[in-house]
Amino acid sequence: MTLFTKDDCVLCEQIKQQFDLQALDVKIEVLNSNDAGALAHLAWHRLVETARKRLPILVLDDSSSVDEFTHIERHLAARAQERGVAIQASATRAACESGSCAL
Amino acid sequence: MGVVMPLKAEAREMTTREVAKADSTDIALFVRTSQEDMMGWDRQRIVDALLRETYLDRDTAEKISKEVEKVIQTGTVKTVTGPLIREMVNAKLLEMGLEEARRMHTRLGVPLYDVDQLLVQHNKENANVPHGPEATNLTLAEGIKKEYALLHVFTPDVADAHLLGDLHLHDLGFIDRPYCSGQSLEYIKKFGLNLPHALSMAKPAKHAEVLLAHMVKFAAALQSHFAGAIGWDAINLFFAPYLEELDDRGVKQLAQMLIYEFSQQAVARGGQAIFSDINVYWEVPKHFVDVPAIGPGGVYTGKTYGEYEKQAQRFAWALFDVYREGDAAGRPFFFPKPLVHITEKFFKTEGHMDFLHHICEVAAVKGNTYFIFDRGETAKISECCRLSFKLEASDFEDAKEPWKMRYSALQNVTVNLPRLAYQAKGDDTKLFTLLTEKMQLAAKAHEQKKKFIEKLLSMGTNGPLSLLAMNLDGQSYLRLHRCSYLIGMVGLNELVKVHTGQELHDSDAAMKFGLKVIAHMNIVCAKMAESMGMKFVLEQTPAESTAYRFAKLDLAHFPEQAAKTVQGNLAKNEVYYTNSTLYHVGATMNPITRVDSEGLFHPLIEAGAITHLWLGEAQPDKEAIASFIINVFRHTQNDQIAFSPEFTCCLECGKTSRGLSEQCPHCGSEKVDGITRITGYFTKISSWNKGKLGELKERYRNQRQFAQA
Amino acid sequence: MPAIKGFLETSFIDWPGCLCSVVFLGGCNFRCPFCHNHPLVLEPSTFETIPLDHVLKRLSEMRPWLGGVCVTGGEPTLAPDLAELLRAFKAAGIPVKLDTNGTRPDELEHLVMEGLVAMVAMDVKAPLDQARYDACAGVAVDLAAIRRSIALLKESGLPHQFRMTVVPKLHREEDVRCWRETLAGSPLKLQNFNPQSPLLPEFSQEKGFSPEAFAALQALVG
Repeated sequence: MTLFTKDDCVLCEQIKQQFDLQALDVKIEVLNSNDAGALAHLAWHRLVETARKRLPILVLDDSSSVDEFTHIERHLAARAQERGVAIQASATRAACESGSCAL
Repeated sequence: MGVVMPLKAEAREMTTREVAKADSTDIALFVRTSQEDMMGWDRQRIVDALLRETYLDRDTAEKISKEVEKVIQTGTVKTVTGPLIREMVNAKLLEMGLEEARRMHTRLGVPLYDVDQLLVQHNKENANVPHGPEATNLTLAEGIKKEYALLHVFTPDVADAHLLGDLHLHDLGFIDRPYCSGQSLEYIKKFGLNLPHALSMAKPAKHAEVLLAHMVKFAAALQSHFAGAIGWDAINLFFAPYLEELDDRGVKQLAQMLIYEFSQQAVARGGQAIFSDINVYWEVPKHFVDVPAIGPGGVYTGKTYGEYEKQAQRFAWALFDVYREGDAAGRPFFFPKPLVHITEKFFKTEGHMDFLHHICEVAAVKGNTYFIFDRGETAKISECCRLSFKLEASDFEDAKEPWKMRYSALQNVTVNLPRLAYQAKGDDTKLFTLLTEKMQLAAKAHEQKKKFIEKLLSMGTNGPLSLLAMNLDGQSYLRLHRCSYLIGMVGLNELVKVHTGQELHDSDAAMKFGLKVIAHMNIVCAKMAESMGMKFVLEQTPAESTAYRFAKLDLAHFPEQAAKTVQGNLAKNEVYYTNSTLYHVGATMNPITRVDSEGLFHPLIEAGAITHLWLGEAQPDKEAIASFIINVFRHTQNDQIAFSPEFTCCLECGKTSRGLSEQCPHCGSEKVDGITRITGYFTKISSWNKGKLGELKERYRNQRQFAQA
Repeated sequence: MPAIKGFLETSFIDWPGCLCSVVFLGGCNFRCPFCHNHPLVLEPSTFETIPLDHVLKRLSEMRPWLGGVCVTGGEPTLAPDLAELLRAFKAAGIPVKLDTNGTRPDELEHLVMEGLVAMVAMDVKAPLDQARYDACAGVAVDLAAIRRSIALLKESGLPHQFRMTVVPKLHREEDVRCWRETLAGSPLKLQNFNPQSPLLPEFSQEKGFSPEAFAALQALVG
């Protein structure tokens, strides 16, 4: 799995806090102005337009993608359970009000 | 020795006052020496010119003028012309090591031999320029303005990059105009035809035909103020309020007039047809639904555009009826190019399948239709060969007063990508560093052109760009603050080939590397836009001549590497690089794969991208095309596609037939010319440059042929 | 399994109304002098066989885009195990359009009865007159078989189309009229002769109908 994120994205941040992505074997691609590789990877998965609307995006192992926040949570939770990795439950639900959760 | 003053950028700029007096120095110096004394000779004029045009001090200027006079007095030359004197002065400056002064004192002109050649030979840099007196005027003027631009508008590093072929600054011969533009018919509907310094002024049109006449004249006026395309947004919708009085025949007649007017405008600037686009919508675009409609007489009709859907559709249908028929000889119309927007709303609008089949039939029979895919909430206006303007929040605000919706790209600069790979020698870091540097140089070129245009515009309606400075709605016609600056690319395929050993279509790895290059360019644009406050966007350069020029220059500067890399026929000098981010035109790829794979680049190329499908002789089934179009919209990221059929037109019987053949199938004559798309538009093949001819031969046409073993 | 000798991944012209892939099988029992696929007819072994797995893989990748696959030739019904190939397509959920010259009505009937074909295009080379037909097919033709195939398609309720390639040297306007009468009620299509590399070399000197003449013939068949 690959998670496309951005540095100043609160939703991305929340995902990172909730899940031990490294233990889940999720690769993180940070879309910032120094990484053409991440953007190219995003384009390869046909996700540029989606990312312009919202981030984060999770690309599953079958190359399909999920961009709905709760669905991302669900997929990661399922994998965590499968692998016996603990989840850091979050009491508050992050909301993106600044519009920064997009490319 | 003269005192060399530091050269400041401002010192090179002409003020209005200087422009006015800097006329015809050369003519004033015309001298005959056929009699004993030199009639009209005045050494002082050399001094004046040197003082006015360069930084030299009076003593040096006097000294030079005296030495030139000495040579002339020897009397070996019978007629001394201004240009000759100027060259003699320049030789003197060179001799004295005053290089900067010589540059400033340069004379722009054309050798006699070249003019002679030009008047007789056909200029093939742009296939949209025919051969004739107007065309040679254009070429001569362009030549001089190009030299002027390279010497006087751009700094030497930028000019050198262009001359060496690191970059291509497009339309240098049109240095004093913006590049291309998107127009709103609403402007002339509201304000009539009221152009600065025009001989007469017309009130807003009351009838559809008059509105069309205004549109055509306005387009011609705009053509002389822009280098490239003049595009019109939602043309069928904006005509709609004028169509209620017309029956179906009348609407068809109007459609026919519109298309013929634009396709026969080859009497305008330089004998060039106006490179015109019309944007057509089956639905009423969301941002216009609630906008009050302007109707006859330039007044609000009391209805919104949403209420004109049926009229707009009637006109759209009629336009494509005319395209399907073609011209009197059955040829496809070259201009105006019809761009149909395929959107989510398109599929929710009644009658869309019938209309889709209608435009697909035109695509099959004549090829005119451009399919523009605006997915999700994206709305776009498309111009030029590929350029599109994505509408942003502020544009949707403007849409409430649609006459404000006028857009322009000020300039286009293309980066020679294969050369970067030659220089990087397989080193990734070096490749991306070089790419960044070239883009920074391109941005510098944009800044310099912007400054120049700003200066011309600042002279207002009494200056050279009066049309663009006219102010009828509280802002100048050209909204400079909204302009974009295009950075294009040629030969991504060859860059990848040199750097990775494979062409884009050879492997996923090659394609992924190609994406990384374009992603890098996208990011650099965004960064420069932020730091320089100018809107830099990537565009797929049409590269009608650039693809040929870069290949030739690289064969000269990097002979070993380029010989292994350029496409086409090296022996015949028919060489080219693959356009922009396209796949090799000859790659055996089905249209699905081509549209899908090339489309992966499109979201990164925000000012417009296209995939061309060449179908050779086959006349495809309209419903098959329609199903294909729907799938392109649903399953790919592709921005725009067009099908390009090929035709043979007979110069003897005048008839047109499908496919490229050496003999006319009607009368058997061998005096034939081919017609197909060169880059973004249809033209006659006889007018193509060598590089494009090489490309034509290699285009994959989606046919299966079983050759004899 | 019949050997696949050619695979065009997409075609906009082979299946009216949809985009399709085209699979070519080698060999033919006709020798139409104007045939432009003759290397495939005469020397199918010179073409490499394309593995069915590859074809199926590509078809499944393109599945959302395709109306189906067109099986053509040569003459595909000559392949004894054609049904096996069509079953493979059917199992993959890919509708089949079959191109045939109608000389094997039994085979055709089996394929239709088994539901293996969604559409059939049959080349009817000339009016059903022995001498004319033989001349156009380049061999002696069993017209009774042709008639049975025509009847079969007309009665099948299956989408179908009859096609004829017209050559000035072989076909006159009268033939087109007569042909139309015989086949009335079914979708008809004419194709103009293209002199590029025909089976009989002397036909390369022939020309197709002029575009006007061809349009006039087309008008006859609607």
